[in-house]
Amino acid sequence: MTLDRVVWSMLQEALAVYRDSPRATGWLRSHVERYTEPVRIAVAGRSRIGKSTVVNALIGDEFAPSSSFVWYRNGTEPRAHVFSGPGRPHEVQVGRRGSRHHVEIGQFDRADRIVVEWPSRSLRDVVLIDTPSEASPEQVLGDADALLYLMRHVQDDDLKFLQAANDHPIARVSNVHTVAVLARADEIGAGRIDALSSAKQIARRYRRDVAVQPLCQNVVSVAGLLAVAAKTLREDEFAALRALASLGREELEDHLLSADRFAGEQFPLPMEPAVRQALLERFGIFGVRLITALIRQGFDTQVKLTGQLVQRSGLGELRDSIAIHFTERREILKARSALLALDVLFRMEPRQNARKLMADLERVVASAHDFRELRLVAALQAGRTKLPAELQTEALRLIGAEGATPLARLGFDYEAGPHEQREALLDALVRWQAIAADLHAPNDQRRAAQVVVRTCEGLLLPLS
Amino acid sequence: MAPPWLDVLDETIGACVTHRRPDLEARLREKRAQQLDPKLRVLVVGESKQGKSQLVNALLNAPVCAVGDDITTTVPTFVQHADTPSAALVRNASARGSIFHTPTERIAVPIEQVTKQVSTAHSQHVVRAEIGIPRALLDSGLVLIDTPGVGDTRSAHTASTFATLMQADAVLLVSDATGELTSAEMTLLKKIMEACPNVTVVVTKIDLVPSWRSVVERNKALLARAGVPAKLIPVSSALRLRAAKTGDQRLNTESGFPELLACVQRDIVASADLLARRAVAVVASSAIAQLVTPLREELTAHDSSRTAATISTLQEAQRRVDELRRRSARWQNVLNDEMADLISDVEYDLRDRTRKILREVDKTYDEADPAIGWDKFEQWLEDNLNEAATTNFAWLMERAEWVAAKVAKNFPVYREDLIPGSVLPDDLLEPVGKLDKPKIEPFSIPQKLFTGLRGSYGGVLMFGLVTSLAGMPLINVISLGAGALFGGKSILDESDQRLKRRQAAAKAAAQRHVDDFFVKFSKDVRDAGRHIQRSLRNHFSTLAEEFQETLLESARSAKRAVQDDQTERERRLREGRKELDKLITLYKRVQALGGPVMELSA
Repeated sequence: MTLDRVVWSMLQEALAVYRDSPRATGWLRSHVERYTEPVRIAVAGRSRIGKSTVVNALIGDEFAPSSSFVWYRNGTEPRAHVFSGPGRPHEVQVGRRGSRHHVEIGQFDRADRIVVEWPSRSLRDVVLIDTPSEASPEQVLGDADALLYLMRHVQDDDLKFLQAANDHPIARVSNVHTVAVLARADEIGAGRIDALSSAKQIARRYRRDVAVQPLCQNVVSVAGLLAVAAKTLREDEFAALRALASLGREELEDHLLSADRFAGEQFPLPMEPAVRQALLERFGIFGVRLITALIRQGFDTQVKLTGQLVQRSGLGELRDSIAIHFTERREILKARSALLALDVLFRMEPRQNARKLMADLERVVASAHDFRELRLVAALQAGRTKLPAELQTEALRLIGAEGATPLARLGFDYEAGPHEQREALLDALVRWQAIAADLHAPNDQRRAAQVVVRTCEGLLLPLS
Repeated sequence: MAPPWLDVLDETIGACVTHRRPDLEARLREKRAQQLDPKLRVLVVGESKQGKSQLVNALLNAPVCAVGDDITTTVPTFVQHADTPSAALVRNASARGSIFHTPTERIAVPIEQVTKQVSTAHSQHVVRAEIGIPRALLDSGLVLIDTPGVGDTRSAHTASTFATLMQADAVLLVSDATGELTSAEMTLLKKIMEACPNVTVVVTKIDLVPSWRSVVERNKALLARAGVPAKLIPVSSALRLRAAKTGDQRLNTESGFPELLACVQRDIVASADLLARRAVAVVASSAIAQLVTPLREELTAHDSSRTAATISTLQEAQRRVDELRRRSARWQNVLNDEMADLISDVEYDLRDRTRKILREVDKTYDEADPAIGWDKFEQWLEDNLNEAATTNFAWLMERAEWVAAKVAKNFPVYREDLIPGSVLPDDLLEPVGKLDKPKIEPFSIPQKLFTGLRGSYGGVLMFGLVTSLAGMPLINVISLGAGALFGGKSILDESDQRLKRRQAAAKAAAQRHVDDFFVKFSKDVRDAGRHIQRSLRNHFSTLAEEFQETLLESARSAKRAVQDDQTERERRLREGRKELDKLITLYKRVQALGGPVMELSA
């Protein structure tokens, strides 16, 4: 039985065992529902780091930021509900303020949670949770299956947050899936035009940093404002930007030196200061600089420009990362969340007839191969288990650190045929079997090799 | 003439020496040397990537500090005046060594390369970089110190920043305009205020943020709320550098640097003496506060806790003596009662056992003939009596131990050797005299013959007379037969009687013996009981005396301690008060220098 099915049946069994406890039933029902949902991703970070901006960029629509937890999920029509205290949620209006959508929660001064249903293609595989900056790791991760953590440069506080997130018995068995995001990448280097490429380099350095690596699966850099701009660029804005680009380079540069100058009274173009102010707010001084430079370089239609912006802002990379680390692993992330929920339940309401379930839980956590893979990834990345360099790279790839699809695991960057895959797999299997059987190899190395062999065998099954 | 603050500082150093605080002394001496030095150190600190190095570069209009997109500054960089541009790296001469007192060496490097050299990875042992350039700003002895970011994951950077903080005359805290001051920055600010009161918050990168004015307002509100009297200046390094390149005065004004420079000139350079006084005041008052705290604690301890402790020891000792007395009456009663019970119980038990034996003897000699198997009987009786004696005695011992334990339980204190090892007399059982054999008359053949003849005489005569009436002679067959019968009967009767006599004699002998045994043994048991009682009493009273003596001694010593303390304490108290007064006077003088006013009362 796959992990998916095992956990599902455990949830059903627990529902049967606890059918006389309304609280436990409610808890389990919510988790059964959650189990079938898309992956829930919490977006967290310090205040003013750009959480809402990144959420907006991912959705492709602009929402006004709010001070409580806001959930964005896919829906057939725009709707919003406010959960405030016990009792039923209230449906509220989603209005517009300027270019932004705004959830009118006026009469609720304190909302526990706002759930926005929004028809969007990018919400099909994920549920995004925008979190308030003062929320604790427990609050942030309580409802989420994975975490998108935003920061500028890695600071002690950020590491503390991520460490706290991993401090649960089951979390220790299988890490919280985290992608760290160097948000506000455009501000690096005081907004120089090449800021984004150096932000990418910094992200690459953090990926190898011993303090950061064990805490997250990947580090990417994103220029939030640019990414939102790319998704929501309007005709009039594009026209204004094109007009700006038509100015002489020197002349424009003088006026783009500072935000004050750009929005100031003296401007060589007949353009309202309010318009310029709006451009600044939408794209930032760096965004205006980059976009005008791009238009001048020949990306002078809206389509071309949008493509460039998505690529340059790092949004594409962020999406890929979410796909590889979160949505492709939906099954295991959901299983993990459900097991955590069961663990909480067994702790809160221990029962005689739940004994078997508790034993099952322990067994699944300890022996499910998916979790063993994850543990090995964590051990290899943290250096607890050591393999020779080239073997480590291969092992990480095979057990799915770079993507869980068979092609990604086998390291094909093109659509290889079943025959070719089989060849590569058999080759890997034989080599890793040799390592697993090598009596002279250290113990942890052999155990790692056994996990890899088991992975290869699992991959071989559908191919033969 | 030496400035007034120098005297105060020297006196404070003296106080540190008398109170044996070499750590404080070293700190103050460092400050002293630094204040005597005409240089003015301005430290540029802040979290990483706030634009600290760029700020220094912009202040000097020269790319002296390394700037980059990633974490760049790894060691403090000292920028000071020099007639010709020069640069040097200072690093630990030995590869490994403590951070204190390691010899350092200076390596001159070309000024164009110093930024690269500092930020390269292999420069691990570099402690700091020193750069000299000809600038009017630095003419007056101003030294700008660019520091690595605080709160970076590589904590070594933070540590080196805090190390340089101690030498600073003034601090520029750098925070960029993309966000207001974070809680971490506020904590850092407060920490800096402790070491150096002259802080200016510089908000950088205002060119990048359209809403920088509101950020500045929020920061001002934050500072006001935290009660931090720091000035706030918004600047843009990028604009300033650009202005320097193009010579655009308007842009320079926009960058905010003229105000910052004026602030540096006015507040830092011009008021060097005030700064020195303020800095000395802060450091000296913190040192004195540290000296006063333990002293005051000692004084209060003398007043209250120590004496209280001694007195409570005394009271405790006395209480325990009383307790011991009260309890000894109890254990003596227990001993007497228990031993009386024990002896009567044991005696009854013995009587019971001997009576059982006697009944057995009676039953036996109702039937058996003592003449046959007396030896065996004697053996049996002896065995039984022995067994009775042993059992009884074992019981006595058991009970005696139990009594000892019970008394021990009622004893006021517990000790390992509380229960005596052996309470029994050694020469307890003297053997009782041998059983007297009763007199047994044997029934011999001549006696039997004589008895038979005597019995048969009557029979012969009786039947001879009757048969003579029938004309038969006196001695005939019938009379002779009757004589034989009568003779036989009398022999049987006689032997029966003799048996009865023997049995009675045997019973009497056994009775006597058992009585003797009982008298003798019960006496022994009583003696043993009394002996046990005596030895237990001796044992426990010795222990009790020992305890009492110990307790009395401790009470006496506590009393002595209280009395001793009184005089010694008064002496020390006087000394302490004098010392404290001296420190407080000194503190007042320090305050007069212009330092912050802190509450310090005697």
